[in-house]
Amino acid sequence: MGLGTGLHHLLNHPRFPVLETLGMLMPGEVFPAFFEMEMLQRALIASVLVTVVAGLFGSYLMLRNLSLIGDGLAHVSFGGVAVGVTLGSVAPLWYALLFSSVASIVIYELQSRDIVAGDTSIAIFLTGMLAFGLVVLRLFGQGITTDIEGYLFGSLVLIDTNSLDLIVTICLVALIGLAIFHRGLLAITVDSVAARVQGLPVHLIGLWFSLTVAWVVVSMVQVIGALLVTALLVTPAAAGQLVGKSFRGCMMWTQAFGLTSTLLGLFLSAELNTGSGSMIALVAAMLFAIVGLLKLLSSQLPTYDADPESNEAQG
Amino acid sequence: MSKGEPIISVKDLKVQRGGAVVLEGVNLDIHEGDFVGLSGPNGSGKSTLLMTIIGELEPAGGSVKVYGAPPGSKASQGRIAWVSQAAAQLPTNLRISVRELVALGAMKPKRHEWLDEKDPMSRFPVLDFIDTVLLGSLSFFVFGALNLVGIGRKEEQARVEKAIKLVGLEDVAERDVNRLSGGQKQRAVVARGLATEADVLILDEPLAGVDRASRDEFLRLLDRLCREEGKTLLMVTHDQTAIHQCTHCAICIDGNVQFDDDHTSAPAVLQVESLSIGATYPASPWDEDAKEEA
Repeated sequence: MGLGTGLHHLLNHPRFPVLETLGMLMPGEVFPAFFEMEMLQRALIASVLVTVVAGLFGSYLMLRNLSLIGDGLAHVSFGGVAVGVTLGSVAPLWYALLFSSVASIVIYELQSRDIVAGDTSIAIFLTGMLAFGLVVLRLFGQGITTDIEGYLFGSLVLIDTNSLDLIVTICLVALIGLAIFHRGLLAITVDSVAARVQGLPVHLIGLWFSLTVAWVVVSMVQVIGALLVTALLVTPAAAGQLVGKSFRGCMMWTQAFGLTSTLLGLFLSAELNTGSGSMIALVAAMLFAIVGLLKLLSSQLPTYDADPESNEAQG
Repeated sequence: MSKGEPIISVKDLKVQRGGAVVLEGVNLDIHEGDFVGLSGPNGSGKSTLLMTIIGELEPAGGSVKVYGAPPGSKASQGRIAWVSQAAAQLPTNLRISVRELVALGAMKPKRHEWLDEKDPMSRFPVLDFIDTVLLGSLSFFVFGALNLVGIGRKEEQARVEKAIKLVGLEDVAERDVNRLSGGQKQRAVVARGLATEADVLILDEPLAGVDRASRDEFLRLLDRLCREEGKTLLMVTHDQTAIHQCTHCAICIDGNVQFDDDHTSAPAVLQVESLSIGATYPASPWDEDAKEEA
């Protein structure tokens, strides 16, 4: 039994059926099914976990000006899925994992060694690997009936026990790594030169981060879709950064926005019978717009703290 | 002031960047307790010199020794701290409180002192790689894991509080760094360096984006760090008042560094001026500054 099925069983424990209890409290006609039907329970667990992890990593991605790397790696993953499907794999996510791991390491090394500047390497890999996957699919994948579009826009029914195991394992590995590295990661994000002089393993932390982000993106592909991963990776973090005053505060707000997007998105998609991934992305964008608008209105008031020093200087 | 072995010793240094020679024939000795100001026109190689001293750039010729060893090696690790220019270096979309920022400096992966630089290890690149990269990473990992369960955190917090107090930011410790004034922001970055408990602070144009009143306060802080805390400071600055405060000053002109080893600061500045003929300084910049202030 994998980690995912284990967690699933735990949340359905006969003595404390957490999911079912929550389901009774949920509004709507279709939405409570997410807490009751086994297939949709898996989808719910995966969505919530992925949202939490994506929010945590998204905050760092945004600060490192790598907002679009999620998008790039998702395209690479889709290329991997296409190759996996063509080869007749029942778990094409493993191919996505392999593809995006390799891509993330190469992108990181190209960037950190100043061989290719900025996001150029992302652009090259994004298109190159995606094209490779599509060509392979076209050439050798005649008559394949697997729903490949589900990986593009996210399809919760694709999340079987195998996928859930993989997703939960990735999330757990990412969380443990982040627990250990988070301050080092913040230090190299804020000032990499100071961090290196201080003796932190800057290159190692950067490499770990790139690799983990690649895995997290793979875990998100089924939930929200390769085209939409950035919606959970960056949008909640961007909204959180508008509200928070400290890094910890931003993290909390990011989680609040992310979980709201996911749960509200699932609710609306269930009730209105739309695609779940696109609805989650839409809700996330709407939340950002609302927060941004409120921020804009409130910034009519002076936002910068009155500074006694400069007042003295003027006086 | 005791003049033993120099902490930072630059001998006949030559540095190239992108094929072009940026620094050539640079000699510089910095001793414990010195407050060295490094000045010069834009593009004269000041920052390149700093980058070489902290090991970000490799010398093309000559040598740089920090605590008797090449920069970036174990002997100097954790003993020098880099204080970047807050105005330019802090990401503007970063929301981080002063306390959080300073705590980043307090992170101190254990150096394995039992392997000091003179050991035979450094003669074998493979062993040195294992030692520096693998053991270094492992110790960082163990450090992170220990910190996660709370071991060593108290001592770290004490260092953070001490550093915040030293720069006088206790009142704004919970505030977002990007919403502080230029002077306060720079002091927060200095506090981050102090939290590393390094003996040497290397400051890269700390006075950029700092207004006049805060500048004097900032310079007083540096002076106090030098005299009372026994820190050695190396600062790149365009500000002539700041140069005036230093115990020594060096000036970069076209890749050459003239180092003034005189102790008294006023003649040092005069000497700098005479050295900087041909550079893009006004006749006596600090006089003009004074006029502006009046």
